[in-house]
Amino acid sequence: MINTSTFLCILRRSTVAGAVVAAAVVVGPASANKDPVTPKQLKLYQEAFMEEVRKGDLLFHGDAAMAEQLGVKLSTTGWACAMCHPMASDTHPHAFPKFQQSMAKFATLRDMINWCIEKPNQGEKIDPESEAMKALEAYITWSNTGSVLVPGKY
Amino acid sequence: MSDELDRIRREMHAVLQPPGVRPDDSLQITRRTFIHRSLLFGAASVGQTFAWWPLLNTIDVAHAAEAPFKFAWISDTHLYERSLNTRFVDKVVRAVQEVQAMDPPADFLIFGGDLAQLGKIEELELGVELLKDLKIKKYYIPGEHDWYLDMGKKWGELFGQPNWTFDHKGVRFIGLDTVSRGPDYWTAKKMTPEERMGHMATLDGTVAGAWAGVGREQLDWMQKTLAEWDKSKPIVIFSHNPLYEYYPPWNFWVRDWREVNDVLKPYTKVTNIHGHVHQVLYNEIGSMRSIGMLATSWPWPYAPEGVPKLTKPMIRVDPGDPFDGVGWETVNVNADDKVDVEYIMWGRKEVFVRSPEDHDKSIEEVIQPRIADRQYPWENP
Ligand SMILES: [Fe+2]
Ligand SMILES: [Fe+2]
Repeated sequence: MINTSTFLCILRRSTVAGAVVAAAVVVGPASANKDPVTPKQLKLYQEAFMEEVRKGDLLFHGDAAMAEQLGVKLSTTGWACAMCHPMASDTHPHAFPKFQQSMAKFATLRDMINWCIEKPNQGEKIDPESEAMKALEAYITWSNTGSVLVPGKY
Repeated sequence: MSDELDRIRREMHAVLQPPGVRPDDSLQITRRTFIHRSLLFGAASVGQTFAWWPLLNTIDVAHAAEAPFKFAWISDTHLYERSLNTRFVDKVVRAVQEVQAMDPPADFLIFGGDLAQLGKIEELELGVELLKDLKIKKYYIPGEHDWYLDMGKKWGELFGQPNWTFDHKGVRFIGLDTVSRGPDYWTAKKMTPEERMGHMATLDGTVAGAWAGVGREQLDWMQKTLAEWDKSKPIVIFSHNPLYEYYPPWNFWVRDWREVNDVLKPYTKVTNIHGHVHQVLYNEIGSMRSIGMLATSWPWPYAPEGVPKLTKPMIRVDPGDPFDGVGWETVNVNADDKVDVEYIMWGRKEVFVRSPEDHDKSIEEVIQPRIADRQYPWENP
């Protein structure tokens, strides 16, 4: 049996481990995930995620200020995503990717989001890599936390 | 099901459905309200829910009709100003034309609330203008979207008292206001009328709270209204919200459903017809049966939990067709004293699910309340 501190000691002494540490010092952040995560880091990661969830929540509920901040026009009809999808219900992020009948193609959640923006909402499609899209995706998936993956399900 | 909802649901059944209590046995089930006969006589599993037996005909509100008659229901038009959204206008125009074309004509129209989207004077007046083309007698009850910009001022000027009663051919009709008694969430936060309305207009918002209720004084009024009414004669009650507990986070309930049940308990033939849920819904609570109506504007999804077992769900709609999943209803009181509710869903010949995959809940989901209208929970460890 070997205890943790002895084990770390052995690693540090080995030449391979030494090289990794040296490289990590050079490239910086790569070393971060070689160290045990700290509570402070965890809090930061969680906050970064929840900030996008919050933005996505506002976009999803038709908040004009957030849409302007992120430079998107998600609707011209007064309709907002949440009007058909309260609490992001019936968005089924856990069922994508799948063949989507309404688009007649194999689609991702991002495709679906853009379809809803363009068709029912009559807004302007957004860049799939934009912060607005990532925020919407963050909110929709966060709100479905606990749903079981069923990719491809109609 | 969450523990809290499970607890309330158990309580509701304990309070409302002691052994042997159901709506009057002489009542039959309509093909058009589509409940499953096998479900009337015991609990059913989800699998059974889709194993439909042949459907029976018509709800009987016995002793009702001195002569056969029909009335129509339109609700949840959610009108924006015409310049912003013409689709919602088009759908009201279509519903009005179709009701006007009924032959024989409807005796009257019930407008079940949510005429406007943001409670604006222009929206409410647009509704009046569009419904003017309908020449039959009209009765209105308010929805939350009509009310919380000016706390019912404009609505009252246009339509008068929000609760009312009248008798028609042997049936006592009652209209209830289930929207105006929300808790004050705006004064302490110094909200503008627009902010107050904005929170109320967000179905999944967390700020407006449990706003749907009948209220003690209106319950007393209802009790007085019914005091002289024969216990075995039919009563039809219109309300914006369902008069039982389906899904409180979206106010698919009234918070004082226990008290409502207390008032109605002695009466054996009570039918509640309600809006707000924008979906086909059927339930029996104590001696009352309850029927949910379609919106003209858009369909809400079924709630993630709490859909009554007696509901045969409506079909999953095509989001690309603004006329799908929405419409209006006729309620037909026949010569043989039966009341028949017919859903007119524009996008479909078949209104109801035929298979589990047709149900919007065929993909199971776990969802949670929004956060952006609350303080960040992670800032308050
Ligand atoms: Fe509504
Ligand atoms: Fe409503």
